[in-house]
Amino acid sequence: MSFLFGNRNNKTFKPKKNIPEGTHQYDLMQHAAVTLGSGNLRLAVMLPEGEDQNEWVAVNTVDFFNQINMLYGTITEFCTEETCPVMSAGPKYEYHWADGQAVKKPIKCSAPKYIDYLMSWVQDQLDDEQLFPSKIGVPFPRNFLSIAKTILKRLFRVYAHIYHQHFKEVMQLSEEAHLNTSFKHFIYFVQEFDLIERRELAPLQELIDKLTSKDR
Amino acid sequence: ESEEKEILRRDSSVRNYSPQAYKFYMEQHVENLIKNYTQRQTRKLQLEKELAKTSLSADAQLQMRRMLQQKESNYIRMKRSKMNKDMFERITVLG
Ligand SMILES: [Zn+2]
Repeated sequence: MSFLFGNRNNKTFKPKKNIPEGTHQYDLMQHAAVTLGSGNLRLAVMLPEGEDQNEWVAVNTVDFFNQINMLYGTITEFCTEETCPVMSAGPKYEYHWADGQAVKKPIKCSAPKYIDYLMSWVQDQLDDEQLFPSKIGVPFPRNFLSIAKTILKRLFRVYAHIYHQHFKEVMQLSEEAHLNTSFKHFIYFVQEFDLIERRELAPLQELIDKLTSKDR
Repeated sequence: ESEEKEILRRDSSVRNYSPQAYKFYMEQHVENLIKNYTQRQTRKLQLEKELAKTSLSADAQLQMRRMLQQKESNYIRMKRSKMNKDMFERITVLG
């Protein structure tokens, strides 16, 4: 079944070349250091001794889904068909929706539509007892990690869209520290278990470097 | 084709959240992340301390460690299924 979740089809991710960065990059990098004061998140993402890695990846995946779902829920009024007619992460990156199962041919759509498909798709995966067993003792499927990777890769795109297209609104709502902390936790986690390919992270690479440079 | 359109026509799953709710959630959440980490460490150390006081065989000690790890593992599974059903539901703390 893993072929369904594989990376064979790259058409959903469209990097564009030779487009200059917008000025918003400046804001973004200026405020990257603002996070919620806390202990060491890098320790908190590590696999506890004796823990099953799938179990650990599963609980964290659900956690990130909830965080991103709430975060996006605070800016829905700013992310509309008019403001975001395409799902993008800055001028260089555009995403087209396909889930590899029901929707095989990538669809070009607005960001709110894309994110709605994406979040509904993730929720369906999380609700699937075959993929995310909730009863004690039921094992994870063999291809669990590749499913989790696909989910996290897609969730990353919501962060990427929000950082590139809605950081101003995030600042207006004074939630930049919360977003930075959430994203930093997410990045620590995917780095710890090597869950997202580097090229997928490219839209926020500079920010990632800055966010994670302090406490390495 | 029609199946694709069917899926896409589905009702929106994205909900609105107030920034206050999100911020409160994140603040609590980060605190809990660190707390969960330290408490799990503490439980492990506590078991080791208890084991050092007993004269259990190496095998029996291993069994005890495995029991704790299993309990911790079951706990995060329960937490996950609760989080997935209702992220605002209070989660009972592992005793
Ligand atoms: Zn938008």
